[in-house]
Amino acid sequence: MKQASIPVEGMTCAACVARVERALKNTPGVTGAVVNLVTGKASVEYDPEKVSVEQLVKTIRELGYQVPTGEIHLTVRGMSCAACVARVERAVSGLPGVLNVTVSLPAEAARVTFYPGTVTPVRIKEAIAGLGYEVAEKATGREALDREKQARRQEIRRQARNMWIAWPLSLLVMLGMFRDVWILPRFVPEFIGNTLFLWALTTPVVFIAGWQFFVHSFNGLKKGATDMNLLYATGIGAAYIIATINTLWPGAGFGGKGATFFESAALLTAFIVLGRYLEALTRGRVSEAIRKLLNLQPKTARVIREGREMEIAALEVVPGDVVVVRPGESIPVDGRVIEGHSAVDESMITGESIPVEKKPGDEVIGATINKTGTFKFEATRVGRDTALARIIRLVEDAQATKAPVQRLADLVAGHFIAGVHVLALVVFLFWFFYGYHAFFRPDSHFILSPYSLAEVGVFGFALLLSVTTLVISCPCALGLATPSAMMAGTGKGAENGILFKGADAVEATAALQAVLFDKTGTITRGEPSLTDVIPAPGFTREELLSLAAAAEKNSEHPLGEAIVRGAEKAGVAVKEAEEFEAVPGHGIKARYQGRTILLGNRRLMEREGVAFETLLPSVKSLEQDGKTAMLLAVDGQATGVIAVADTIKEHVPQAIARLKKMGLQVIMITGDNRRTAEAIARQAGIEKVLADVLPQDKAEEVRKLQARGLRVAMVGDGINDAPALAAADVGMAIGTGTDIAKETGEVILIKADLRDVVSAIEIARATMRKVRQNLGWAFIYNSLGIPIAAGLLYPSTGLIVSPELAAFFMAMSSVSVTLNTLLLKRFIPSMKKEQQEPRGEAGQPLPSPALR
Amino acid sequence: MNNPARASVLIYTGISLAAAFLFLLSTYATGISYPAVARIGGAVWVFILSMIITMPVVISYVNKRHI
Repeated sequence: MKQASIPVEGMTCAACVARVERALKNTPGVTGAVVNLVTGKASVEYDPEKVSVEQLVKTIRELGYQVPTGEIHLTVRGMSCAACVARVERAVSGLPGVLNVTVSLPAEAARVTFYPGTVTPVRIKEAIAGLGYEVAEKATGREALDREKQARRQEIRRQARNMWIAWPLSLLVMLGMFRDVWILPRFVPEFIGNTLFLWALTTPVVFIAGWQFFVHSFNGLKKGATDMNLLYATGIGAAYIIATINTLWPGAGFGGKGATFFESAALLTAFIVLGRYLEALTRGRVSEAIRKLLNLQPKTARVIREGREMEIAALEVVPGDVVVVRPGESIPVDGRVIEGHSAVDESMITGESIPVEKKPGDEVIGATINKTGTFKFEATRVGRDTALARIIRLVEDAQATKAPVQRLADLVAGHFIAGVHVLALVVFLFWFFYGYHAFFRPDSHFILSPYSLAEVGVFGFALLLSVTTLVISCPCALGLATPSAMMAGTGKGAENGILFKGADAVEATAALQAVLFDKTGTITRGEPSLTDVIPAPGFTREELLSLAAAAEKNSEHPLGEAIVRGAEKAGVAVKEAEEFEAVPGHGIKARYQGRTILLGNRRLMEREGVAFETLLPSVKSLEQDGKTAMLLAVDGQATGVIAVADTIKEHVPQAIARLKKMGLQVIMITGDNRRTAEAIARQAGIEKVLADVLPQDKAEEVRKLQARGLRVAMVGDGINDAPALAAADVGMAIGTGTDIAKETGEVILIKADLRDVVSAIEIARATMRKVRQNLGWAFIYNSLGIPIAAGLLYPSTGLIVSPELAAFFMAMSSVSVTLNTLLLKRFIPSMKKEQQEPRGEAGQPLPSPALR
Repeated sequence: MNNPARASVLIYTGISLAAAFLFLLSTYATGISYPAVARIGGAVWVFILSMIITMPVVISYVNKRHI
């Protein structure tokens, strides 16, 4: 019998208690159930052979109550391959009450979801520690960075020490083994070739540098689990024992003094230690993105408290504090500017290379750098709530998840170790009973070695091939292939202001075939802008703008504000009208410098008796383009037409053109009428438009595209587009700087720049390319290496792979996978490259492209 | 058996010993005259590999049955 204390949420009275108790007691396998309303817990005594915790939880949930889940993030050190990952996942998921477990090898992390009360974090940690791994609860922020750095340094130091022992001694052993070859007898003293001397040199290599493999495999075996350490231990152990027997008891029949494979045992250890050392060096670099982000966090902040400026730790800043930032300083937390002006470099968060102007009312993001002026801001988000903290959490979570392709690789690798031992047994039996007698030739050699195998007997020969097969088959490259590329890819995304919420988001983004854009706020700015100024004969554009802006100066209407902004942007001085009158549904009437100004629609002109027929064609043409055209009249004479419309954002046409060039279908979806929608789509370069679609029907349109077999991304601002974002294969939510707490969407674009959609797809495709290359390489390595190691070439060539050469290949396979992944760090999305190239023009004011 | 760990040890050791014994018998059955060291060394190697192969399978099977 077992006892579980399951938390239950949603119970309000004694009736609820009775209901839950009754349902639990009626569940087969439950011998007793007591529910406490105050503590919100159900204590259940149950027979684990008849009922599981999951079934108990299901029973409670079916009654309409919630069972909250807990989550624990752990750091697991000592895992070396995908088999270790599978072991940890198996051990933890086997615990009653554990809902889900995801282990990441490169991140050395485990995320466990469980029902609190049924299993404790201590029990979970015990299960992992029992397998022989170091386990601790994952620290956050800088503490995690320090601990991780320290552990990494320790591992590098440990493997470096092992290298210092293994390599010099192994090279001496090799020199001794081949002292009779070529010109070596002239230079190498005779005692170096003495087998006892070689035995004395090999022993510390195996038992000091190689001890880690024996310890890890023993710990695993005790729990009934196998990993690649076992492959090494059996390989090194077998070579060492045979060599020792042949040295100390040459008459024992293992091939005698001519078959002392000391260099096999020593070099095998040396190569594996080299692989471990290189892995320790490179593995940390793959997770550099997080480290870079953590390093951005400033340690101190200058705040004004009790009327004076004081420097405090950034962690002590509370919302509402007024923070002072000087030029060159980092902004410690998120907030809103209340005094002063400056330009802020936000590239570390948004990827935007040009500093952003900040004035009172603007938001600032923690960890960005103040460039020019001093300003004060009010802290709004601190600690775990800042944009940076949330970005770090998102990236960490993404790196802890598994892509579907990785689950398959882990499954294969997890079963690989047992398979390899079966294969080693088959190879041994084949060469022992048949192969040796049928194919053995006295001129047998190791590949790339002058070492003769003439004196090796049937047992030594079969054992050699069996050991070599064990060593070469290690699936470490297979285990590292996907997670290392995913870590690098999600990190690369974060560097460019693109947050992938999981490895599956990266995989889905890479496979996209169609991109659906919301119009308002995504393709367009979401607010009207001045687009056209068409003066009547005898008037100039500037004159028209100046008059219209003066008339609208006091207007609070969005169209009026757009005209004033447009005039200011065009460099026209905006003065105030002496009189102003809004004419509802028509426009405005104002008096400026003694002149009467009318600005509004046709009805206003007709009401005031202004003849405007000559301007009518321009008005109609503008309205055809989906714009709002307004007529301007001065002292009863029509002077021109001014048009206002929601304009497309900068760089949208480039982004759309690029997406089309990448072979993606681009579609715009909007609730607007077809005429306006098509006008915007034309400017953006989009041919396919879904107009008049209500917000609630956008998801349906997504599903229709999916039904046609397309993998669809929906790009929207994440508020009214939430259902469509959720329905799409990939929902891309565009944010504006700090607003990254969006729940909907697999991908978050921190900037509202559509070029990042292109970058996201390019990064995802580059990541998946790396995954495919890595998996392809691992597959080729194993499918070529294993048959050759098993002696496939031997009958025709008389050559076999030595265990040390097998170890070298194995080490190189995982190192090459990691190095290939590191190449992803050099990847620059195409639109980013274009942004970086015309740097010289960045500082110049842009001409007003909106104005014709 | 109440103790799953002990049951597991007995099962996988038994299987591995049987495999090693079978190997030993086979060395005589083939008609080839193997040196004694090859017979014993081979049997030991077969025993080790069989232990490694059967251990995880048997332990997880017995644990599951016990639960």
